Amino acid sequence: MKVLFRLGWFFKQQKKQYSIGIAMLMIVSLLQLLPPKIIGTIVDDITAGELTSTGLTKWLVILGVAGILMYIARYYWRVLIFGSAVLLSRTMREKLFNHFTRMSPSFYQKRRVGDLMAHATNDINAVQQTAGMGVLTLVDSIATGGFVIAVMAITINWKLTLIALIPIPLMIILTSYYGKLLQKRFRFAQEAFSNLNDKTQESISGIKVIKTFGQQQEDIHDFTNLSNDVVDKNLRVAKIDALFDPTITGVFAISYSLSFFFGTKFIIAGDMSIGDMIAFSTYLGLLVWPMLAFGFLFNIVERGNASYSRIEELLSVVPDIKDVPGAIDAKPEGDLHFDIDEFKFPGDDRAALHSVHFTLKRGETMGIVGKTGSGKTAILKLLLREFEGYKGSIIYGGKPINQYKQQRLRESIGYVPQDHFLFSTTLAENIAFTNPKIAVEKIHEAAALAHIHEDISGFTEGYDTIVGERGVSLSGGQKQRVSIARALIMQPELLILDDSLSAVDAKTEEAILESLKQTRTGETTIITSHRLSAIQHAHKIIVMYEGTIVEVGTHEELIDLAGKYKEMYDLQQLEMLVEQGGEG
Amino acid sequence: MQVDKQPKLTGKDQWVVLKRLLCYAIPHKKSISFAMLLLILTIVGSIAGPLLIQLFIDDYLTPLRFPKNEVLTIALIFIGIQVFIVVVSYFQLLRFQRIALKIIQQMRIDVFSKVQGLGMRYFDKTPAGSIVSRVTNDTEAIKEMFVSVIVTFLQAIFVILGVYIALFALNVKMAFMSLLLLPLILIIVVIYRKYSADFYQDIRERLSQLNAKIAESLSGMGMVQAFRQEDRLEAEFSAINEKHYRAGMRNIKFDGILLGPAIDLFYAGAIVFVLGYFGFLSLESPVEVGVLYAFITLIGRLFQPIQQVMQRLSIFQQAIVAASRVFKLMDDSDMEPEQQEIEHAEVQDGEIEFRDVTFSYDGKTDVLKNISFTAKAGETVALVGHTGSGKSSIINLLMRFYEYEKGDIFIDGVSLKAYPKAELRKKTGLVLQDPFLFYGDIESNIRLHDQGMSSEEVRAAAEFVQANEFIEKLPASYAQKVTERGSTFSSGQRQLVAFARTVATNPKILVLDEATANIDTETEVAIQASLEKMRKGRTTIAIAHRLSTIQDAELILVLHKGEIVERGSHQELIVQKGLYHKMYLLQNGILEDVIE
Repeated sequence: MKVLFRLGWFFKQQKKQYSIGIAMLMIVSLLQLLPPKIIGTIVDDITAGELTSTGLTKWLVILGVAGILMYIARYYWRVLIFGSAVLLSRTMREKLFNHFTRMSPSFYQKRRVGDLMAHATNDINAVQQTAGMGVLTLVDSIATGGFVIAVMAITINWKLTLIALIPIPLMIILTSYYGKLLQKRFRFAQEAFSNLNDKTQESISGIKVIKTFGQQQEDIHDFTNLSNDVVDKNLRVAKIDALFDPTITGVFAISYSLSFFFGTKFIIAGDMSIGDMIAFSTYLGLLVWPMLAFGFLFNIVERGNASYSRIEELLSVVPDIKDVPGAIDAKPEGDLHFDIDEFKFPGDDRAALHSVHFTLKRGETMGIVGKTGSGKTAILKLLLREFEGYKGSIIYGGKPINQYKQQRLRESIGYVPQDHFLFSTTLAENIAFTNPKIAVEKIHEAAALAHIHEDISGFTEGYDTIVGERGVSLSGGQKQRVSIARALIMQPELLILDDSLSAVDAKTEEAILESLKQTRTGETTIITSHRLSAIQHAHKIIVMYEGTIVEVGTHEELIDLAGKYKEMYDLQQLEMLVEQGGEG
Repeated sequence: MQVDKQPKLTGKDQWVVLKRLLCYAIPHKKSISFAMLLLILTIVGSIAGPLLIQLFIDDYLTPLRFPKNEVLTIALIFIGIQVFIVVVSYFQLLRFQRIALKIIQQMRIDVFSKVQGLGMRYFDKTPAGSIVSRVTNDTEAIKEMFVSVIVTFLQAIFVILGVYIALFALNVKMAFMSLLLLPLILIIVVIYRKYSADFYQDIRERLSQLNAKIAESLSGMGMVQAFRQEDRLEAEFSAINEKHYRAGMRNIKFDGILLGPAIDLFYAGAIVFVLGYFGFLSLESPVEVGVLYAFITLIGRLFQPIQQVMQRLSIFQQAIVAASRVFKLMDDSDMEPEQQEIEHAEVQDGEIEFRDVTFSYDGKTDVLKNISFTAKAGETVALVGHTGSGKSSIINLLMRFYEYEKGDIFIDGVSLKAYPKAELRKKTGLVLQDPFLFYGDIESNIRLHDQGMSSEEVRAAAEFVQANEFIEKLPASYAQKVTERGSTFSSGQRQLVAFARTVATNPKILVLDEATANIDTETEVAIQASLEKMRKGRTTIAIAHRLSTIQDAELILVLHKGEIVERGSHQELIVQKGLYHKMYLLQNGILEDVIE
């Protein structure tokens, strides 16, 4: 029940809805008491021969009006209570989502997208259930159950009521127990299903191996065995699930038998009428749901509590990187001084960077080369302020980058990552990502700069082509160029290309670099690349090796140096020859 | 997140799908009949209860006459019936579940078998996730229909029948009038069905949009933050969330108007009606109050199954859509290449000849152009070339993964197409570039599904390829668990296991796609040694990325854009100073004299 208190803030916020909704529920439970009573009265009047047509009409009108009132009340409590529950899930989902957008990259490194999804769907669902079904079962079991029992005891016969209620706790205990058991077995059934899913996934991924060894039949046999397990585990669920109805029927049959047996005795003794008996047995029928609800209540609330805790835990995570108090509210511009003595990624003992010092003047282009793991990306991640906790300083426009507001720092930087992530929307929207309201010409301009305009114009839908699973699948090179256009459209003070020309052919690469050179005269550019042709024309090239700078200079200087850079350069020239079929 | 488009089905399409679905129930005819019998028995029992009470009220309670034996008999029958219902209904519920599960199992096996028989072309054009969805998720949606919808439908029909039979037995005139209820109920069900289909579809779509948005945002959060679009994203999400909320509210209101409360209103109306009828009748002639009681109780029993049917209509709708997708896969004609078998065709020596083979995946661009070469029995032919040069396509054709139209491939002078499939599979062994390990343990990964292979044979195969060295160092040795495609093993180790797996079947022809991934030097040595051993006495077609591994090949084919541009032994090709020579220099890091 704790979760109901923890959700107190929401109930308070929805005070009106919940109080009217609960009032409606109460009205229904009270009105429900009328029909059995009226049936009983009419029966008694008939047996006694005292029924008059006006009396009958009066009762029927009351019944009819009660029916209509119940219809209205039932409609409104659903809208008010279930509606509030849906609102809660909407509120929680939004809270969680907004929280996600504020989390630092390290948050996403530690958690899998699938798990976060599960919180945003399953857990929120369970909380919604608590605020809807949970409240309903609580009110119904206590109010409806209470009213019905009270009416039976007060207006008919309290002794018979007590007798009839004897078997009911058995039903509550049993159904609540089944509920728990069901949940457990259901989990096993889900596991079996997910095994079957994994098996299918595996067979399809390994289809070549299976075909090669001609083992399709055997694999089908394997699948059959797993699907047998699915059947078994589901049957175990069914064995419990099928207990609910018979248990309810059985327990109420005992109740009915007891009440007729003792009811007859009371009638003989003159303590009760036949009409009372009929009303009593109808009331008994009304008790089925509230008693069942009582059993459900515990399971719903238990699940809701666990889910709510998980969501709260997630919401309590604070972002690693925050604006410092009094952060500079201006866009950094100017020279960049990168002075890192040492930097380690969190949870890593090895230094990702050590003694990396360079200065980049505004308007210059710098190339960073080196093998995977040599520290290229680490430099960029620090510039983007994705990580902190380094020894040294990064000064941009005269101030350390952590003195700026994060949003303002990012305003200066146009970042094109290695893993070009496009959103499943139109190409135009992908390019105009930083400013959806930008003029179409600007979009085309940026696309032209990134040499993707012609490709896009070639699509039947042009810039309205949807990207991704539900749309056109672009080649790696096209995706890279779209992400470059996306960064260029914001005319960034500092453009960072993180190996983002790797899938583009040599000629296009050259053209893109040329147009960057033409248009970005006053701004700074940093390019990392495996392919040296991408950085050949940079004002300054640094060669990274095992986390530190081993060579610095222009292309010509580095070639003359005849060191690592020269070695890489020669190898790549040869590689190009081979790619072109040897006739370079 | 994979979002499958919902095919739009006309009423007729739905009917065809439903009929085909129900065909799956035919093998369970007997079992279903028995379960139906149990269902009918429980319904009869549940109707007999109120009738007995009616009898008791009218014949004994009203006149206050209690002959011991008669009353005792009625009580015993009542209790007997209740016990009977409790027991029988349990088994009836269980039996229907079992049948439904069995039906779905059969369907799953059928889909899975179909998938196994499909050609590689199908797997190229269909994302794995969507195939998996067909086999598991879609069939799960159909299961819901068999488990909950069909039984509920049957139950509703029988209950309605049973209740009316009882009503007619009690009071013909009143029963006739109660028949009026049926068209009213039917109308509400039809209206509900008409609109609920749209509403449920709407909320499902909103939900999938919502989930897709969350999933995409979580994966692309880095980009969103780098470009400071958090606020816009939140606004977009908020809009989708809002729409989902509105759809949810609409559903609650709609269900509130037509579902639960409406059914209760009908019940209240029915009570007014019954009471009015009997009440006014009693003013003229005596009525049996027991009959009145029975009418009210029995009519009450009508409404519960109808409400259940209405609640489950959407499950039904979903199941039909899912089934139509499943059947579409089952009707796919992109099957494995067919063999035109010559009986008893057997691979003897394993000489392979490609004669003028031209091949295209899409029917437009040829990825292989007039490929001709011969691999003599026991010799090794190496294929080298850049990515996309056509090396893998040669292997794909040789393995019969794809059908070729132009030219032919011969083994021992007989066309590849003439061998029985099993013979080809037995005599050719393929080692893939990225060796695929299955969930299980090392031993099961070497043996695969061949239960006839003894543990000794498994070990012998592992020893032959020198995989035993690393395997025996594992904590559980051959019983070491393999999870998630063997991600806990290095790619070199996986390669060795794949070698052992292939050697264990002792093929005549060996097809190797050398691993490109980084392999640690220690395993590299073992791999080279075992490759050499494996190739002895076998005709080998090998794709080589590291030229050092194929220097002793009898024939090296250099491919470029689907054509063989150079051919010869290592020495011959080096002397030619062509493409192969350059590749060789590149790999050895020898740079002098090449670039000018």
